Amino acid sequence: MNRRWFALFALLFGAGMLATPPRAAAQADPTAVINQLGVQAIQVLGPNVSPAARVQRFRELFGAYFDIPGIARFVLGRYWRVATPEQQQQFETLLREYLAQAYAGRLAQYAGEKFQALNAQTQGGDTVVFSEITRNDGSKIRVEWHLVNSGGWKITDAYVAGVSMAVTERDEFASVIQQGGGQIQYLLDRLRQKLGG
Amino acid sequence: MHRRNRARVLSGLVVAVALSVLAVCPNRPAAAQQLTASNPPAAAVEDNGDPWENTNRQIFGFNQTVDKYALVPVANAYRFAIPSTFRDMIHDFLQNLDSPIIFANDVLQAEPGLAGQTFGRALINTTIGFGGFFDVAAKFGVPYHTNDLGITLATWGVNSGPYLMLPILGPSNPRDFFGDIADGFGDPGNIVASDHNRLWAAVLRGAVSGIDERSRNIENLAEIERTSLDYYATIRSLARQRRAAQIRHQKEDVPNAAPLQGMNTRSVVPAVSIAALPTGPTPGMSYQMASPQIPANASANSLADLQKSSMTSSAPTKR
Repeated sequence: MNRRWFALFALLFGAGMLATPPRAAAQADPTAVINQLGVQAIQVLGPNVSPAARVQRFRELFGAYFDIPGIARFVLGRYWRVATPEQQQQFETLLREYLAQAYAGRLAQYAGEKFQALNAQTQGGDTVVFSEITRNDGSKIRVEWHLVNSGGWKITDAYVAGVSMAVTERDEFASVIQQGGGQIQYLLDRLRQKLGG
Repeated sequence: MHRRNRARVLSGLVVAVALSVLAVCPNRPAAAQQLTASNPPAAAVEDNGDPWENTNRQIFGFNQTVDKYALVPVANAYRFAIPSTFRDMIHDFLQNLDSPIIFANDVLQAEPGLAGQTFGRALINTTIGFGGFFDVAAKFGVPYHTNDLGITLATWGVNSGPYLMLPILGPSNPRDFFGDIADGFGDPGNIVASDHNRLWAAVLRGAVSGIDERSRNIENLAEIERTSLDYYATIRSLARQRRAAQIRHQKEDVPNAAPLQGMNTRSVVPAVSIAALPTGPTPGMSYQMASPQIPANASANSLADLQKSSMTSSAPTKR
């Protein structure tokens, strides 16, 4: 093998090494998926990132890591069945945007703190990854991630100190729908108005 | 934590409290019956466990005003005037004062493990921790947990009753409100204070606890309010879930996981410090990692680059 071939081989091999590991790890192990999400979310929580850039990043992360259709169905609850397919579709889009905007803001308080995914467990058919945030004062907040494996791990819910993201949104949206006399369209309009669309 | 603060504020307002108990308690069984009566699934409107919602929302609005013009300014001043080291000491001291009530409720719930922790913490912090100003026990690995009579009653099977928004004191329910009052009367510190005609001490303790609590949540609640569609409903949901977790005695440590079959459950990536990471958006690197999983339409999001709706009145309510 002459030197040129070796260089080419090294280049290809090196490129392969660089390109594959994160993705391969993400496929196999839900704990690694959560750690990866943590790393990426944390990167944009610092004070040097503009709110708009942070929301954009959260938009991508919610799209990539979360089972948005599944969450949308859960969050709408019994209203999901009476919604038209168009309304369901619109709600999925609006929900992702709502979550991105809400949690980009609400998680900003954790800037500068440590996140670590610890281990995984099966709980009644659900895969749960346990993680913790270590606050600057040394106290710890437990975060539980519920995942499903549908051709790659997707998050269906996150519990922060026992409080479920999906349940919170379900309760809130149910209240809004009630104010609108049980009309899903009212919720969609309010969401659009809130999100500036 | 704030439940304890409430208890102390309340104990300073003995007469008002006694009247409130009389006013609220008889309502509970009636309201519970009302709930089950209006519960059948045929009802068009989903039962949200909040039959007093109209009144509660009015009180919530009042609380928001008080919060905006009194509590938050005071909490901000507290933060500005007192260095964080001293604020932490005050926080630890107040938390240590709660130990007798926490211990009593640990015992009432037949939780010897928790009772032992509370007792040990009080012993260590009161002595080595200089009267409770330093939470040495937590550094020794004995963490704080809260407890109160509302939790005890819940573990005994008492239902919470309807959601109840208290003026100034925030989200509660008849069971927890009753528990707070009883805890307030049973608190040794309050008893000593009232025996010596030093009720102001109990009131001061309650006030400082409230300010301490509020000063720790200024940004947090402001963000929740700004990003919520229905702030009242969000707070109601958060308060209930938080309370349910306390009643379960949700542990902060993580259970030993049984390994998933055919899966490497060990943590692969070590803990990352948020501070240690590059603070810029680092579009090149981070986007590369995520892009294989992002659906093709991610960039074509019609809602991209939206301004957040200007919710300028960010007056978080007190908890």
